[in-house]
Amino acid sequence: MAYLVTFHWGWLLGALLLGFGMGWIAVVHRGPGVSRVLAGWLGLLAAALLVVALVHIVPGRPGYWLELALLMLGPYVAGCAVGSLLRAWVVRRSVAMRTG
Amino acid sequence: MDGFFKWSSKWWPGVIPLIVLWAFAAWTSTAPLEADLADRSAAALHGAVLDKTTIAVAGRDVTLGAEAFSEAARSAAVGAVDAVPGVRLVNDETRLAAEARPFVWSAERDVVRVTLAGSAPLPASKAKLAEAARGALGGVEVSDQMKLARGAPAHFDEAAVLLLGQIAKLKDGKFTISDSSVSLSGMARELGDREAIAAALKKLPEGFKIAANDLKAPPYVFQVNKDPVASTLTLSGNVPDEAVHAAITAAAARKFLSEKVVDNLKASIGAPGGFAAAVVPALGALSRLSTGTLVVSDREVRLSGDALYDAAALQIRSGLGKEFPQNWQFKADVSVKPAVAPVDATVCQQLFSELLGKASIRFEAGKADLDPDSTGLLDRLVEIALRCPASNIEVAGHTDTDGDDEINQALSEKRAQAVVDYLVKAGLPAVRFTATGFGATQPLVPNDSEEGKAQNRRIEFKVM
Repeated sequence: MAYLVTFHWGWLLGALLLGFGMGWIAVVHRGPGVSRVLAGWLGLLAAALLVVALVHIVPGRPGYWLELALLMLGPYVAGCAVGSLLRAWVVRRSVAMRTG
Repeated sequence: MDGFFKWSSKWWPGVIPLIVLWAFAAWTSTAPLEADLADRSAAALHGAVLDKTTIAVAGRDVTLGAEAFSEAARSAAVGAVDAVPGVRLVNDETRLAAEARPFVWSAERDVVRVTLAGSAPLPASKAKLAEAARGALGGVEVSDQMKLARGAPAHFDEAAVLLLGQIAKLKDGKFTISDSSVSLSGMARELGDREAIAAALKKLPEGFKIAANDLKAPPYVFQVNKDPVASTLTLSGNVPDEAVHAAITAAAARKFLSEKVVDNLKASIGAPGGFAAAVVPALGALSRLSTGTLVVSDREVRLSGDALYDAAALQIRSGLGKEFPQNWQFKADVSVKPAVAPVDATVCQQLFSELLGKASIRFEAGKADLDPDSTGLLDRLVEIALRCPASNIEVAGHTDTDGDDEINQALSEKRAQAVVDYLVKAGLPAVRFTATGFGATQPLVPNDSEEGKAQNRRIEFKVM
């Protein structure tokens, strides 16, 4: 794990920034969201892939690519969360200033 | 919390660029990652005792192939690669090196190279043996065809290094170790080397034994060349020791009249039995030749050259072999020197006097038996007598004053007769010769010293 993070830190940083941007936009985005049911299924898929990666049943290069995908998904989701929370905080503060 | 879920439901569009990013990452990082892991795995195996090591990396999975020399070393190697940071799993394709039964190793020497073949127990000992071979033979090519295998006997390296230390003493041949049996074949380089190798092998490590020692020594060669033009007698080759050396040079000095003896002999061990007993009579035969070469090689004596007359050639061909010790072989290639032009009686007399002035015919002490050392001289006297076929010759015997006059008189007559008998046996007509004895009545010099007496004991040839 430590080796992979060290080796791919650039790509992981990219995923984190991408997530941060997406999280930042998501707060004010008006388009359609993912339904709760679909989100559940997507979470389940991610968990299943994580299990598959951890038990090492996908061999060689595909196994590595799966690990890389899961590894990049982590910073992306973290970036999204941080971006959204930060944007929400900014929005709440500006609304308060306007109404205050 | 509800708000957070609402936002997160809108995170999905970013997944599309994330997938693109992932594809790029996978595209560009796979090969460098694999190369990095291969390097680290190889570094982790540095110092491990393995043969035929292969490392193949796919993604983060390492396929390790190798031959190990013990189970512990094998699992240690797999563990070392498994512990490399970043390696996900190791596909273990290692196995133990084959066990050689019997464990055979050999070092073969020919003219241009040494070939090391068979099995060596470990890469380190393989390198050590190749190095030992190079060290033992500076400049000779060493061809290393050894394979690695398990099953070597204890102290194998020591035994093989000991053998390689002796390989310089081999002209050609092969040293073999099969389990704990050592066998040797081929030809030693120099006389004595075979014995030196046998002595060195006494230090073989415990447990090793010599199963076969078929090493041959190079032929033991002794050579004598008689050159009448330069008037030299060249002795070369080997003699067993200084005592035999002295005996041979003394015999050469007695048997040859005026030739200068050039002594290039050297003492070497390994002489065949009865060496001196064969060489001395062979020298006698050579002394009868006008020009010739004597070659003694192991137990074979070869004599070639020109005898002075027909009967001498016959006598040499048939007679000499009988004088040799058992198991010795004699090959004579003796021809007859062309007859020299006849001369008149005066010249004949002059030739006799000159020859007898240089050397005397010798007899056994107090007897009328011709000393074999004088055969060469007698043959030359025959040759001169053949050149004046019309002359009659008186052979006169003289003694010193020691002893009774009557006995001396009888002895001088008998000795003169013995010489005449020799001449007749050589094919000269008996009617040409008269044997006369003078006892001590005609001394050349006073009989007052040993030298004087020796000069007075003589045979004279008078052409009538």
